[in-house]
Amino acid sequence: MSQELIDAITDMREDDVLRITNELLNGGASPLDILNACKAAMEVIGQRFETGEAFIPELILAGEMMTAVSDILKPRMAEEAPGDKLGKIVLGTVEGDIHDIAKDIVVFMLDLNGFEVTDLGVDVPAARFVEAVQETGATIVGLSGFLTLAYDPMKETVAALRENGLNVKIMIGGGQIDEQIRDYTGADAYGRDAMAAVALAKEWVKES
Amino acid sequence: MFVRPDNWKELSPMERRKVRLDNWQNAPVQFMSPEAEANYKERIGRLRKIYDMEPHDRPIADGFMGANEYVVRRKGMNGKDMVYNHEKLREPLLEFHNEFQPDTAVSPLPYPGKVMDLLNYQTYIWGGQKLPDELTIQAVEGEYMMADEYRVFAADPTDFWLKKYIPRVMPALGPLAMLTEFPRVSENVDLIDMILPFGLPPFQAMLQTLMEAGNELMKMLGAVGQTGAMIAASGFPSMGFNIVKTPFDYLGDTLRGTKGILTDMYRRPNDLLAACEAYVPVLINAVVNASDRNGAPAALYVLHKGADAFMSQPQFEKFYWPTWKQVMMGLYEEGIVSYLFIEGSYNKRLQNLAEMPEKSLVCHFDQTEMGPVKDILSDKQIIAGNVPASLMATGTTDEVRAYCGNLMDLFGDAPGYIMAHGCYFENTTDDKMRAFMDSVKR
Ligand code: B12
Repeated sequence: MSQELIDAITDMREDDVLRITNELLNGGASPLDILNACKAAMEVIGQRFETGEAFIPELILAGEMMTAVSDILKPRMAEEAPGDKLGKIVLGTVEGDIHDIAKDIVVFMLDLNGFEVTDLGVDVPAARFVEAVQETGATIVGLSGFLTLAYDPMKETVAALRENGLNVKIMIGGGQIDEQIRDYTGADAYGRDAMAAVALAKEWVKES
Repeated sequence: MFVRPDNWKELSPMERRKVRLDNWQNAPVQFMSPEAEANYKERIGRLRKIYDMEPHDRPIADGFMGANEYVVRRKGMNGKDMVYNHEKLREPLLEFHNEFQPDTAVSPLPYPGKVMDLLNYQTYIWGGQKLPDELTIQAVEGEYMMADEYRVFAADPTDFWLKKYIPRVMPALGPLAMLTEFPRVSENVDLIDMILPFGLPPFQAMLQTLMEAGNELMKMLGAVGQTGAMIAASGFPSMGFNIVKTPFDYLGDTLRGTKGILTDMYRRPNDLLAACEAYVPVLINAVVNASDRNGAPAALYVLHKGADAFMSQPQFEKFYWPTWKQVMMGLYEEGIVSYLFIEGSYNKRLQNLAEMPEKSLVCHFDQTEMGPVKDILSDKQIIAGNVPASLMATGTTDEVRAYCGNLMDLFGDAPGYIMAHGCYFENTTDDKMRAFMDSVKR
């Protein structure tokens, strides 16, 4: 694994990341090796986020560097073998709310920690969550929301998931969400940050 | 209006602050009754003591910003009414003040719906336009300055705003882009360049639109002004504010978008810093001029992208804090108080705020832990906040009482404290509203 590539990513040197990736490929490195280096780098960034050394800028940049690298690698790779995932999660920002920065971070951290995450985006109606769970067979749903206006759509989404008899655990989070709102919406748990989302998801897959 | 006394140059910042606050406190009001006058004077006197951090009988509870939609929504008004039907809001507003006798005036912000329609305003959507009538107004982020335009911006922020930003976000004002660069108008023939656009049909059509917008604005201000005057006449003072942001937030919220600005910290740090620097004198000038025009003694900052979650402390101290501090210091020198509405949490930034001179700030917190706030800041600056919106929306009256009670235990005898929301609550109940307002009267 290329330590040079790992360092470039964790130091946020975007240009170097692309240069090194191309050099490695030209020198005959396998795309899988490069991908593994990327994963190792992402883990470092994830840890830094957990310990409060990395913040939104680093996560956004890391995300963009990963996209850029996979764009280079894709044509040279067979379909990525679906590795062993811990579990499937459906996540989105609820109807009427378009705040996505925090949601993206939660998705990033869950993905990094081995979950297969279906990101439904923002302003997602309750029915879409239901559909996505039916399509993917996810056992966990995450609802993000930043507005007081999101309380009711959250509550409706929880109700819709339950009414459809879906056996999922539901976690909620976001700016104005707290334990009070967990109670109000009937969700299973409230998570304060992306680390809490990961901890909850890990606990829930262990239980099932 | 604020007229500087002749000895302004000799006055210290604190003396200037006093002159501005005196001017605000003593602004003439036509009262409805002697009783209303007495109430007004008592209320504004208490608020002034809080601003001066001098002994007073009790903190105040302020619904301004926190409950400003609730006060009309409780009578069935919706978002569209707040954007378009300003007359219609008057009765519910007067009723609220009459019934609740708040410590300060509370009313929705005066959103100029018809003006926004005429200008084809892009950075917001609102009730009665693209949002359902129930909702009021929502920001839509966009990239209104491209990454390679930083230098153009920093060279002349005003020119950028006039000829690039405004045409992009208000397409009806697109022809502004035809204007010349004014500081080069010097020789008589330069008038040709200066006046040329005014002779061209698209520019003239724009001027027509602007005049129409001006007429609509006057109508709205007439309605809102009358309501405001009636609220004051019945005994309720309001704090005068001019809204401002930090240089970083103007660039982030308005020009580059959240993702843009945060990645620029890595991709073009020097451009970003230079743009923040360029903003400093522009903002100081703008707020001082506005305060002189309308007599407002304070500047209200809505603070966004410097919160704990957004960046590390070193990043905050490199990109966010220095130019913001320069703006606040510039206003302090001119006797203007900085009222900080600190969205999200600022647990790591309290020491930075503590660098500011005494009484230069009102620190209004959303989710910051209030214990450390008390220890680090409450002797030096006025404190406000942090009643959660979740509690006001879905909690019980007893829970509201308990939460506000805790805040009173912490800040009840701080030199200056204002009981206020953390983030605004558009949905609550009259009972909870009363519990919130009565909590300071124990
Ligand atoms: C940035 C921002 C915006 C940006 C959003 C950009 C984007 N692409 O997301 C823009 C400008 C578009 C915006 C628009 C609006 N906003 Co806004 N916005 C904010 C702001 C400043 C920051 C939010 C944020 O991204 N924080 C950064 C994140 C990363 O921090 P964090 O919350 O700690 O993140 C963690 C947790 O939330 C958690 N988490 C998040 N989701 C989930 C999900 C699960 C399952 C779990 C377990 C955890 C979890 O994990 C995250 C990572 O650790 C907040 C104020 C604030 N500081 O909170 C207001 C705020 C949320 N906005 C507000 C408002 C009112 C609006 C508007 C209506 C404004 C307006 N009048 O125009 C519109 C609404 C648009 C809409 N329909 O949604 C209000 C809400 C008030 C209320 N009573 O509802 C706030 C609180 C500001 C305020 N104090 O008034 N906004």
